[in-house]
Amino acid sequence: METHQLFKKNETYNGLYAMLLVNRLQMLYFFLIMPSILINPYMIWVLIAVGILSQLNLLLLSKWLLTRLSSNGYNGFVQLFGEKLVRFLSFIGLFFILLKLSVITLGFSEIIQTFMFPSTDTNFLVFFIFLFCCYVASKGVEHTIRFVLISFFCTFWMITFFVFFFFPPIAQLSDLYPLIPMDWKVENWKAFFLILSSYSGPEFLVFLGPWLKTNNKTFRYLSYGNALTVVEYVFLFIASLLYFGSNYLSKSKYPIINMARYFQNPVFERIDMVMLSFELFNLVFAVSLFLLLFYGASKIAFGKMSKPSSGKGLLFSVFLIFIGMVLVNELFWKSWEKQNFLLNLQIIAGSISYFLVPLIIVLVMKKKGVKKHAST
Amino acid sequence: MEKKQIESKLVTQSIAESELSIEALKKILVQMDDAEFVEIDISDIRKIHLVYIRTLIDQEKLNESIIKPLTSCSKPSIQDCIVNSSIIPIPTFIEAKKQLFSGSILLFDSSQNLWLAVPLKNPIGRAIESSETETILFGAKDSFSEQVEQNITLIRRRLPIHELKAEKFTVGSLSETSVVLMYIEGLTNPDFVSTVKEKISEINFDLFFDSSQVAAFLEEHQNSIFPQFQQTDRPDVVTYSLELGKITLLVDNTPFALVAPITFFHLFQSPEDYINRWVVASFLRIIRYVSFILSVTLIPFYVALTTHHYQMIPIQTLLVLVDSRSKLPFTPFWEAFIMLIFIEIIKEASLRMPTKTGQTLGVIGGIVIGQAAVEAGFASNVLIVMVGISTIASFLIPNYLMTKANSLIQLMLLIFSSLLGIIGIALGIIAILAHLNSLSSIKQPYFSPVSPFFRKDWIDLFIRGPLVKMMERPEHLKPLKLKRYKTRR
Repeated sequence: METHQLFKKNETYNGLYAMLLVNRLQMLYFFLIMPSILINPYMIWVLIAVGILSQLNLLLLSKWLLTRLSSNGYNGFVQLFGEKLVRFLSFIGLFFILLKLSVITLGFSEIIQTFMFPSTDTNFLVFFIFLFCCYVASKGVEHTIRFVLISFFCTFWMITFFVFFFFPPIAQLSDLYPLIPMDWKVENWKAFFLILSSYSGPEFLVFLGPWLKTNNKTFRYLSYGNALTVVEYVFLFIASLLYFGSNYLSKSKYPIINMARYFQNPVFERIDMVMLSFELFNLVFAVSLFLLLFYGASKIAFGKMSKPSSGKGLLFSVFLIFIGMVLVNELFWKSWEKQNFLLNLQIIAGSISYFLVPLIIVLVMKKKGVKKHAST
Repeated sequence: MEKKQIESKLVTQSIAESELSIEALKKILVQMDDAEFVEIDISDIRKIHLVYIRTLIDQEKLNESIIKPLTSCSKPSIQDCIVNSSIIPIPTFIEAKKQLFSGSILLFDSSQNLWLAVPLKNPIGRAIESSETETILFGAKDSFSEQVEQNITLIRRRLPIHELKAEKFTVGSLSETSVVLMYIEGLTNPDFVSTVKEKISEINFDLFFDSSQVAAFLEEHQNSIFPQFQQTDRPDVVTYSLELGKITLLVDNTPFALVAPITFFHLFQSPEDYINRWVVASFLRIIRYVSFILSVTLIPFYVALTTHHYQMIPIQTLLVLVDSRSKLPFTPFWEAFIMLIFIEIIKEASLRMPTKTGQTLGVIGGIVIGQAAVEAGFASNVLIVMVGISTIASFLIPNYLMTKANSLIQLMLLIFSSLLGIIGIALGIIAILAHLNSLSSIKQPYFSPVSPFFRKDWIDLFIRGPLVKMMERPEHLKPLKLKRYKTRR
């Protein structure tokens, strides 16, 4: 493990990377379970509305990314908040990252177990996923950000398979009614926050400022990424509505994957297994990035910034996360009721972090009179 | 031990510092049967001493260019007598030694106390032949030989421009191997040139007999299975690479030039790509990529399906597979592992065996490994077919070093597939892609133009676009001149 390279900054990445980072960080575990919680066709409008709200968050995010402080990384945050507060916020951030990591990894491991390895323990799958994520993360932030391109090219095409659900005999327009809500149920609020939480992820870009080449087009690229996510969410939701119908949608825990089980060709009967394997590219990318962020945040929280980053340190934090995740798996995830609690917790945590992180940063920026510097 | 080392150091130092004389040369050339000391009497009072290594010089030329002119010449100066060869004055003992062992004849005019060297290198070596490692149907047939000067000629004939620079370096304390760095000034990014020069200057090793050894000292990722320098013996490939903005290293005594920076995708490009029509060339290139993917994943996929995912196989195929595997004593992993190791043994043996015994290998490989293994119940018919396809597919990659890496990737994926089925294969591929993504060739990303992304360079990536549309050089090579055409005034 080339330890000195973990947080090195040799090159910066342009808007395309920012766009893909936004898109791929929004296409994690939640989009696979989303239709079974949204259920009603009129939630299409909520998907779009929250997408627009997400756009506002990205606007705030781009304001931060355009400042000189953001490209200074840790020192920029210290200038903005002061060292003590940065350490405290990093400590809080560790729990947010751990929660997100737990939900996306355990959720995906459970899917693999359900559809591919019914007799395999999910801890074993988590171990292997972490092993490979650790390898990707050991290449450093720079290469992990670059890995988003590979992750995108290996996963984005899968959505095109679902176009078959838009044609008769599966597709019937009546499945998309009612498009206007007649009443607003309490469960719809959960669906609303789930959508908001699903759009979360790009707030972690605030920590990637040193590696992003920002200019006046940055917001445009972030918007493209977000818009692509909106299209993907709406597309998959409509496809699942057309396939299951809103009455039956809530009965399927993983509607998207259940739909994919019907794809066949003369060589393979279960294309969904191949698709799940490809989806791993996105999971490994996101988990690797979060592992690096966790390691970086733990260094700040425990006041170890003066010491150089090391492979051993990363390995140790990965080990801690793995132990934590096994505990979460045994104590929460394996029991359905407690899993629901954990999911709700992540829905709230994701919504809060996506809503508050850019907002607080911009408010403090305004208060301290920090201005954007990029003009090209 | 230390005392001995100091003594030998002192002896070497004293020889290096000793004054240039016949006696001093005799001292270092002692016990060398091919060392010659010849005296030519020009007149009663004037003698010319010739010192040379017989095996290193062209003896026919010695007579023609030196001995005859000297004996028949009445002029006082040697330089005036020898007119057909270049003459280098020798100021020091070290320089004399260097010239002597590089195939020069040392001349000592005792009357003037003057030392001179005349290069008369033995031209022994292969003629220009066609390449055996990168064969093509159409296009130029010539290939490099072991003589670096000849190799430079082959390149210069294709690029007759003054911007084509050839800088010479010497590496290897014992072999004193010449390494020639070639690049097009004003086109190749100067960072590449300076990086390579810096790395060459840092080389500290005694013997180099192949360019791959030089590459080992220049590569940034020693533990990777992927080559970071392209080795080629084709002058047309080198010329095309230079034209794109790459650098080339020619190493004396080896026909393989080193080209850098390269990307993973360059290893899939063949010189014929630029000779065939673009649609055909693109199709063939895609076939090459597909073959690579097949060669590394087909057998792991077989193991994954037969071990973990029977439900993925259509019922008709499943019946064939079950029938084929019903009498086998091994698990799919061991069955595939044993077959792959056998194939590797056959591949390696076919390289080492003389051509005439190659047929025997074909028969043994084909009958014993194929038919007999199935009849004996060691392998299934289906696996034999898959091994055959993947082995043939692996040979479609034009770069031989990449073909070697193929086998290791295949074995790695095989292990992962036996553990975690297609999830294991996916994780293995992720690891390979992450590794490729982090590699570099003379500090340039190895996985560009995919990551980092260069949109315009995709015209010559998975397909080979029409030449008339490829009016710009690849951006990821950062050439100083991006456009390939002259701008009209």
